[in-house]
Amino acid sequence: MYITLDGVSRQYGSVWAIDRVTMGIARNEFVSLLGPSGSGKTTLLRIIAGLERPSQGRVLIDGVDVTELPPHKRGVAMVFQEFLLFPHRTVWENLAFPLRMLKLPAAEIEERVRWVVGILSLGGLEKRYPNQLSGGQQQRVALGRGLVGRPKALLLDEPLANLDRELRQEMEVEIRRHQTALGIPFIYVTHNQEEALSMSDRIAVVRRGRIEDFAARTEIYDRPKTAFIAQFVGRSNRFEGTADAGGNRLATRCGARLALPAPGLTPGSPALAFIKNEKLRLDAAGTGAASGPNRIACTVKDVILRGAYADYILAFGERELNASRPRSERSFLAGEPVLASFAPGDIDVFDEKGEQAA
Amino acid sequence: MTRRNFASRAAGPLLLGVPTLFLLALFVVPLASMVVLSFWRTENYHIVQDWNVGNYVTLATGGAYVTFLIRSLVMATVVSVVSVAVAWPVSYAIILYGGRYRLLFTLAFAVPFLTGEVLRVIALQGLLGPLGLINGVLMALGAAPLRFIMYTNVASAIGLVYLYLPIVVTVIYLSLLNFDARLIDAAKIFGASPLRAFFEVTWPLNLFGTLIGFALCFIPCLSATLAPRFLGGPNGTLYGMAMAQQFGESGTWALGAAMGVVLFLTSILAVLAIGMRVNLRRTGFTGFGRG
Repeated sequence: MYITLDGVSRQYGSVWAIDRVTMGIARNEFVSLLGPSGSGKTTLLRIIAGLERPSQGRVLIDGVDVTELPPHKRGVAMVFQEFLLFPHRTVWENLAFPLRMLKLPAAEIEERVRWVVGILSLGGLEKRYPNQLSGGQQQRVALGRGLVGRPKALLLDEPLANLDRELRQEMEVEIRRHQTALGIPFIYVTHNQEEALSMSDRIAVVRRGRIEDFAARTEIYDRPKTAFIAQFVGRSNRFEGTADAGGNRLATRCGARLALPAPGLTPGSPALAFIKNEKLRLDAAGTGAASGPNRIACTVKDVILRGAYADYILAFGERELNASRPRSERSFLAGEPVLASFAPGDIDVFDEKGEQAA
Repeated sequence: MTRRNFASRAAGPLLLGVPTLFLLALFVVPLASMVVLSFWRTENYHIVQDWNVGNYVTLATGGAYVTFLIRSLVMATVVSVVSVAVAWPVSYAIILYGGRYRLLFTLAFAVPFLTGEVLRVIALQGLLGPLGLINGVLMALGAAPLRFIMYTNVASAIGLVYLYLPIVVTVIYLSLLNFDARLIDAAKIFGASPLRAFFEVTWPLNLFGTLIGFALCFIPCLSATLAPRFLGGPNGTLYGMAMAQQFGESGTWALGAAMGVVLFLTSILAVLAIGMRVNLRRTGFTGFGRG
């Protein structure tokens, strides 16, 4: 592996902010560290950068143990959430900074800055100061400063958090394109699952200083390994219930009955189930049997148009369910009775510890 | 025009006008009267209102006034440089390691202000003088006393540093407080050693604050009266001290006024000379607004 974290831990006082993290990142790989705020993902990034020292464990970059190396000797670059451009330097000087530190000849600095100005479409802004740029432009300069020195890896700490939605989606595509073109690993810290899903090859879900799971993005989304991931990634309907005697059915507290694809639950034990909003199929009430497992008769409470699809808020007894359906399907109006159904394979079930159960 | 509209229109002139009047009354008028006085004469403790430039001729040619001025300029420069050199590590240490006691440390530096300037200078005299603490201890131990701190320019300089250091520390501390230290992280990530990061980022971004600290030390040092009088020796007469004498013992107020005008112009020139060399953009100054 190109970058290796080997049993890395970081202690603050009596709290383990990072707890025995071991992971490997390949060259060419785009990896996201996804987790809620305070989960330790930024600390992990700062440990790779050398801005923070691990209390235990080792960090290897390109086969070299860099655990004891200060940040300026690691050859990695970083893009910060607050951009942290040098306010007393022009765009050109900001971009040239990493190259000056590498003591490159002036001609090469000129050529490389020109290259990065080109790929990030910063032409015409070279003589401006950071406070004369828009947020999006500052972001591009920050990204350019990260790429210009051809680092061994680019670390990105929530770089899009301060941009508006439209700009963010544009930048997601762009960041991914540069990563593919340059062939260096990008390690991307975010609490935004959409960003992680749209760009990453693999996603590491971080929770309380530990890696909950580190797997391909489709794996993380489609087959969440723990209840935490099922809850955190994607938008789901959550059911609490008790396993029946066979261990393959779940009677939920809200009154629904779920049939699982395979038995795996301890009979009689409490369990958690998640069904992604888009896996909930909607049919007009009265088509087929209304009762039975994996079928829930409910009423449309509200419809939220999202453009290509619509979000339905459904009333089922005391609780609400959420379904997300493409607009190409038959649409329903508020107040209409509907039948929500789902396939057994679309249920993610976990035992009371949150571990995968079936 | 609605009432509210009128109020908001009046607010600008009112808010700018009051400080303008204040400045006029307390700064411009006294200064103008000083300029006028400097072109008159004093005779036997009486002001004679005949216009002449005699005072300025005296200052340029007679006595030791030019020497005093040059000595004061050198003294003020040395004291300001030393103060800045001492204040920087002190302020930086408070920012880095002060933690929750930062404010307390900074306020502690202002404690000497509570005693008044005369008392502070006298206290220092008790420390540096021939029978002072330092030399007293040295002599009691049988060693030779340190002559260079007894009624010399060095003693004056020590006194001035002591008097104005708290101001410089406070100004540089405030500058560092507004400085985003994460920029140092950014510089390090992009290949700067800690020392390099200091000169690439920390120093230029706090240069403006440092220069203000320098000026707030330099200007009062130019006109310092008390420290050279109590701590300086026979060769220690500074310009400010000589100026004070014109208004005191000698009673040559018009000459004193002319000295004041020269001092004022010198200070303005010094500030301009510093200001011309500073490109505010290069200090990260963002007061220009966007665009």
